[in-house]
Parts: sequence; C-alpha cells; structure tokens
Amino acid sequence: MAGITFKNVVKTYDNGVTVVPDLNLEIKDKEFVVLVGPSGCGKSTTLRMIAGLESITDGELYIGDQLMNAVAPKNRNIAMVFQNYALYPHLSVYKNMTFALELAKVPKDEMKKKVQWAAEILGLEPYLDRKPKALSGGQRQRVALGRAMVRDPEVFLLDEPLSNLDAKLRTEMRSQISKLHKRLGTTFVYVTHDQTEAMTMGDRICVMKDGIVQQFDTPQNLYDHPCNLFVAGFIGSPQMNFIDAQVKKTSGGYALCFGDTEITVDRPELASYEGKTVVLGVRPEDLHAEPQFFGKNNVINAYIDLDEMMGAESYLYLEYAGQKMIARVPARYAKKAEENIELAIDVETIHLFDKETEKAI
Amino acid sequence: MDKKPSHARTVIAYIVLILLTFLCLFFFYILIVNATRSHPQIQKGFSFIPGHSLMKNLRSVLNDANIPVMSGIKNSLIVSSLSAILATYFSALTAYGLYAYDFKLKKPAFVFIMLILVMPTQVSAMGFINLITKMGMLNTLYPLFLPSIAAPAVFYFMYSYMQSSLPLELVEAARIDGSSEFHTFNRVVIPIMKPALAVQAIFAFVTSWNNYFIPALVISDNSKKTLPILIAALRSADFLKFDMGKVYMLITIAIVPIIIVYIALSKYIVAGVALGGVKE
Amino acid sequence: MKKIKGNEVSYAKYGYLFIAPFFIAFLIFQFIPLIQTIYYSFFEYYRSGLKIIGPNPVGFDNYAALFEADFGKYAGNTIIMWILGFIPQILISLLLAAWFTDIRLKIKGKQFFKVVIYMPNLIMASAFAMLFFALFSDNGPVNSTLISMGLISKPFRFLSSVWGTRGLVGLMNFLMWFGNTTILLMAAVMGINPSLFEAAELDGCSPRQTFFRVTLPMIRPILIYVLITSMIGGLQMFDVPQILTNGKGTPDRTSMTLIMYLNNHLFSKNYGMAGAVSVILFIIAAILCLVVYFTLNADDDSKRIRKRDRLKPRKEAVNG
Repeated sequence: MAGITFKNVVKTYDNGVTVVPDLNLEIKDKEFVVLVGPSGCGKSTTLRMIAGLESITDGELYIGDQLMNAVAPKNRNIAMVFQNYALYPHLSVYKNMTFALELAKVPKDEMKKKVQWAAEILGLEPYLDRKPKALSGGQRQRVALGRAMVRDPEVFLLDEPLSNLDAKLRTEMRSQISKLHKRLGTTFVYVTHDQTEAMTMGDRICVMKDGIVQQFDTPQNLYDHPCNLFVAGFIGSPQMNFIDAQVKKTSGGYALCFGDTEITVDRPELASYEGKTVVLGVRPEDLHAEPQFFGKNNVINAYIDLDEMMGAESYLYLEYAGQKMIARVPARYAKKAEENIELAIDVETIHLFDKETEKAI
Repeated sequence: MDKKPSHARTVIAYIVLILLTFLCLFFFYILIVNATRSHPQIQKGFSFIPGHSLMKNLRSVLNDANIPVMSGIKNSLIVSSLSAILATYFSALTAYGLYAYDFKLKKPAFVFIMLILVMPTQVSAMGFINLITKMGMLNTLYPLFLPSIAAPAVFYFMYSYMQSSLPLELVEAARIDGSSEFHTFNRVVIPIMKPALAVQAIFAFVTSWNNYFIPALVISDNSKKTLPILIAALRSADFLKFDMGKVYMLITIAIVPIIIVYIALSKYIVAGVALGGVKE
Repeated sequence: MKKIKGNEVSYAKYGYLFIAPFFIAFLIFQFIPLIQTIYYSFFEYYRSGLKIIGPNPVGFDNYAALFEADFGKYAGNTIIMWILGFIPQILISLLLAAWFTDIRLKIKGKQFFKVVIYMPNLIMASAFAMLFFALFSDNGPVNSTLISMGLISKPFRFLSSVWGTRGLVGLMNFLMWFGNTTILLMAAVMGINPSLFEAAELDGCSPRQTFFRVTLPMIRPILIYVLITSMIGGLQMFDVPQILTNGKGTPDRTSMTLIMYLNNHLFSKNYGMAGAVSVILFIIAAILCLVVYFTLNADDDSKRIRKRDRLKPRKEAVNG
C-alpha cells in the first residue's frame, strides 16, 4: 500500500520564494501519475519533496499512511531515476545497481539474483562489468532504471528521465517504462515538461502551473474536458485554437459570433454571457475540410498563411477575422499557402472558456 | 601564405627553447656530476664527466653525526606525507561542505576563504611560534603538518573541480540509496575527486618537502630536523673546511627524489598546473 | 525515524560539520596567532641575554623604530630582487606561450619543453640556493670555467658584489617561476576561441599583430592574476637570499628581504619588533589579497578564467 498524499503542502525556499503555495494531491497505490507543466511550475520540487530531497515548509506528506515530513530519503522506501542518470562513474554497472543493497546489508546471493532479474528485463546482461562511461545514453538510462528496480521500492520517482535521449530512443523508452510499470505494479510518479510523454504514459496526469495544480485527471478527460485555458493550451499538439467570440441569443439557443461566422450551440450555461466575449477553443483536428462536416452556420473561409505537409495530413496555419488558427486536415483535402480554404467547425467538440477567469464554461 | 618568415621564426624559437632547457638542466647536471666526485677533484676544477666517488660521498654524508640525514629524510617524509593527506582530504571535505549543502553561513564562509586565498603564512609566524610554544609543540613535528588542514588554495582547486565534475544529482542518488552523508563523501565523492586529489597531493607534498621558514623556527633538536634545515645548517657551518663532495651529495639527496617523482608523473603535474588556468 | 519536527530532510548541519575542521585549524594556527602578532606589535617585548623584557605597552614605538631603522631599505631590496626575476619571467613566458600555441610554428616536443621548464619550480629553494652558492662561490665551478675560458683573469666574487648577489637571486626566481607562468599563460591562450585567431588571420593580421591585438587583451585577467600572485610571492621572498647569504643579506644587507628581517627578529625573540614587521606585511598582503579576490570574482562572472591551484606552492617557494 503506497499511495501518496499531499495535504496543504507548502514549499518556500530559504531565499523567500514560494514555489508551491498549497498543494493537495492524492496519488493512488500502483498508479502511474505524470506531473507535467512548463519549467518552473513546481513539478520537480513536488517530486523532490516526495523523495525527501527537499524539506517541506508546511503541510503534510504521506506515503501509504505514514507521515513522511521528517523521514530521511533512505527510509521512505522510494527509488528515483534522475534526468542525468546520476550513475556513480567510478563503479561498474553491477556495483551501481548493488550500491543501495550493500548499504542495506542484503545477502550477496540475493543481491546477485535481483541484479540478474533487473538486467534481464532491461537487456543489460552484457554490460554489467562496464563503467557508465562506456555506455550509450539509452543504456545508461536503463541502468538508472535497473538501479531503482533492484531496490524493490513502493514508489518509483522519475525526474524527466528521457529528456537527454534522442527522439527515436525516447519513443522506445517511453513504452519500455510503461511496460515496466505494468510488470512491477508499483506506484510511479513521473515528471516531464513534454505533454506527449504525459499523455502516452500516465494513468492520470497532474497539470501544474506556478506551483498550483490546474487539473488532475486521466489523459482522455484532460484532452476532452480541459478545465481552463492553460490546460487546454498545454495538452494537445498542435495547440488548441483560441478564438474570441461574441455570445448572441438566437432562436435555437446561443450563437458564437466572430468574423462573419455565427455558430449556433446548444449550451444553456451561456445565458449569463449574453452580449459578452468568450473564448472559443477548437482543436486543430476539429477544423474539418471534409465535405461531410459542412452544415449550416459552421463554416469559415480562412486564408492559408503557411502549409506544412506532414505526409498523411497537413498542418494549415490560417488567418481568419484577424485571428490566427491552425488546422490539421487530411492531406488530400488540404490546400496550399496563399489560398483560401473552407473549413467546418465540429460543434460537438468545441470548448468554451470565460475570458476573465480563463475557466471552462 | 609564404612560408619563409614562419620558418625563420621556428628556428629562433628552437634556439631560445634549447637555451632555456640548457639553463634549467645545466645546474642539476653539475650537481649530480659533482656529487660523484671527490673533494680534491671538485677543487681542481669543473668537469662534465662524473667521477667515481658517489658511494664514498654518500657514505660520508650518512655517517656525519652533525648532519642527521637519515632522520632528516624520515622527518621530511612524515611531515610531507601527512601534510599532503591532510591538505587534500580536508580541503575536499570543506569544498564539499560548501558545494553540496545550503546553510546560512555558506556564502560568508566562501567569501572568507577566497579573501585569505593568497595570504602569506609568514605574517602570523610570530604568534604561531608563541602559541605552539605554549602548547608544548616546539621541537615536535605536529606544527609542521597540522596547519595543512586549512589550505585555502587547495580548497579552491577542489571546489572548482567539484563544480565541473560532481553533479549534485549523484549526491542525491546516494542519499536515496541509503548512504549517510559521510559515507557518500568517502565512497562517492572521494573516488570521483581522485584526479584532483592526486594533483593537489603532489603539490602539497612538494611544498611541505621544500618548506624552510616555519620548520627552521620550530625545530632546533637535531633528531627532528627536516632536510631544508640540514641544508641551511650546512651553509652556516664553516664552509671552507667542508668536503664539497659531501655538500653536493646532500643537495642531491634533497632534490633528486622530487625530480624522479616529477619525471614519473610529469604528465599529470603539468596538466594540473594548466588546470589552474582558464576554462571556456 | 519518526521524529516529526526533527526534520531529517534538512542537511544544513552537515555543511557546518564538513567545513568545521578547516575553520578550527585556521582559527588555531592562523587567526589566533595573527591577533597575537598584532597585539604584541604594540608592546616592548624582547629577550636580552637570558632575561625577558616586557611585555610593556609602548603604543606605536615599534613602528616608529621600524621606519627609523632600515625597513625601507629592506623593502627596496625585496622589490628590486622581485623585479629582477619577474621581468624576464613574464617576458619569456609570454614569448613561449605565444610560440607554443602558434599552430603555424609547429614546435615539436612541446611536452618535453614544458616538463623541463617547469621542473625548477619543484626544487627545494634552499637546496637550489645552496647549489648556486657552491657553483658561484669565489673558487667554484663557474669562476673556474670562466677563467679557463679566458673570459676573466681572476675570480669574479659574485657574492661580494651587490648586483652579483641580487642578480643571482633574480636569476633563481626567474628560473623557478617562468615555467609555471608559461604553462598558465598557455592554458589561457588555448582557452581563447580558435576562430578568433582564424578571423584575425583572414583580416590580414601578422603573427605579431595577432599577439598584441588579440592574444594579449584576451588573456589580460590571467596576466593580472600572475602579476599579483607573483607580487605576493615576492613579498615572501626568503629561502633563496637567506641560504645564499647565510641570513646576512650580504654584502652590507643589500640583499636582505623583509621576511629575512622578520626572521632575524623572530630568532632573537624580539616579539614586539617582529609583530610590527608582520603587521605591515599583513596590510600589504591584505591589499593584494583583495585584488586577487576581485580578479577571480570578475573571472567567475565572465566564466572565462577558472580557479587556480598553484597558489600555495608559489607562496612557499617563491620567497626564494
């Protein structure tokens, strides 16, 4: 049983800067949780507080049901994988993996068994006698994982473990880590600034900004129901389009007006926004060039600034009614730069945000 | 481009370099040659050819009761080795303390050490002699190596080395692995610092081996004297009565071990000196 | 394991613990002695025969006596002998550094030359001085060689001549330090971005112009550093003139340095005067220390110069 609970946790550094003002978070046992956000959002600090590498200024941190505020890192039953691997350069791969076990006075043969088990899973058997210097980046990363695995921790902490790898290796390691999580069945807390990593790996994702949790939910829910502008913009690539639109009452409900377009939506909660401006969020893939989506009142005629052919699909950088947008359309429906294109907005999938509070409506 | 001026410059460069090489090596060559010649031979004049009195000179130096060479070598070795160990270990420890931990006095402590980085020890020699007299350490070897614990320049080198070669992640990894802070220092930090420790140990050893000012003030007992004091004693003795073969022999004994170690490790030592310079 | 407010997660105490030995050793062996030195500089406190006179407070009398006596002369000697060594040292070092780093020259055996020119730096200064004393004595090998070559008719008495003695001290200081300086300057030059030299060459700079217009300005910080540390080394000049002249600064105390003067007072147990000499040396050294501090800090900011190691050996050995 090793869930992690933050209760009103505050982190203020000695220089008076508060990076985490009031954190409440509940990570369940065996869950793979990704902390994601732009740099300086407090995600690494949060992870390091779990590890015990940063002291907690105020509030309570529990691992399982034990209060951990004043417990040294070694007694927290956690393991951590660092961004730069943090392998001991003077020790062989084997010795790197047994360093903690030796300190814990694990018997020699048990130690050997554990290393073999981890090395087998990670494909490290041929390298056990090498020094870290003689390994590639991907191999080092696996050693770092192995070092964490042999300790049999209740919680795995991973701090941007893939950021130093090239793109191809990163994709590969991503699935390896996911598989590892399923296999080990322990709690994983993973920090990254890369939303793709977050979306592909996490059971649940905690989006943070300025030390505050913006939304903590499953990848699908984050994508489909972002709770505010920040989350909507952060999750998904290319980024969601934000369009300022006026709310008008019509016979069928409410209409969102921008440029010469009026989109009719059936959203009663817009009542209080009548006559005001709201932010309309449309994901690039919800701007359709295919004819079957064309209905009445949902089509815009936009000018293409730039087109990026990606193979199966095209990214179109558009301008419409003085606002910039991106559309992601099947390549065969795309047009070229400096042309105009008709695109339909899928009314079912639009997002609406309050312009003042930036919260979802 | 035209090769001519470059060529002429190369020739000049070689001439100057060979002259300087000669200047650096010539005196040591005479020293070693003269250490192998007998007193009358030396008095007769100078020669490039070694003589046959090496063993005789060596024996007469070793047997001279007024110059306790063997105990001098022993004392010098003890003092220099301990100085080297203390200076490197404690400088690394201090550097680590300031590098890896955050505490209120961290900045003031660092600035303070930087301020005394090149402060000569001589300025406090008077109080130093006074103090060790009161502590009953006059005529002992302790005052010659214990002060090495506080070696600001060695500290600075260690600190710089840590900045470039010791990521703090590693310390944190050790912490999570269950290593105590001292264990981390001795088992993780020290092995990583090995190259720096080695270079600084050599320098600290040589410095202490050659040190004359403080030992001359502290030691008066013949059995505690280090080599530089013995050489100074030789100088103040009535020089004309001296067997010159013996004089050269003693100088050889003081210098040659360092030269041998230097030649063996010259690659690291020269690199270590350069390391003190500039990094982009 | 379950102390709530014990906060095992704070490591500050280890910081204090780790730096403690350094500061304790410094306090005992340098700071307290320094305070004592300063304190006694205001006292009449010396040994006369077997009797200890003092300590009696005398205010600034020791300092007054110092300046009435030959303090100025010894300071002058120290400066002269330092300059005699430093000028050839910096010039030769610059020249060698320029040559060694000039790709066009392609000097072979660089490593060998570096090893050779650095060697004198590690030699025991007192043994080196003893060797020079033997070699340059009135009937030593140098004189006998010069006579046999017919260059002089009777021995030149190096150690009885003012400039002979000072020249020898300067020569030895030069020999002991030019290798060290060369290696430092080389490292500094090699730290300059090579494309700067290529740009200079494309701009039509001759090697000489490149050296004066590109190299020298770029290594200015390390030059200042070398100058200041060498001045501090010069201030400590002791071993070489002490052994060469048997502590007398012969002829007629023209090669007596400040530290030799201090040493004489220490040996005769005149603590009051020794204290006064020390305090003045301390003030000069403190000013130089401040310069070093600001030079290194400016360097840290620009990330150009890093850290020096050879401070300590220089300190003990120049004094030469």
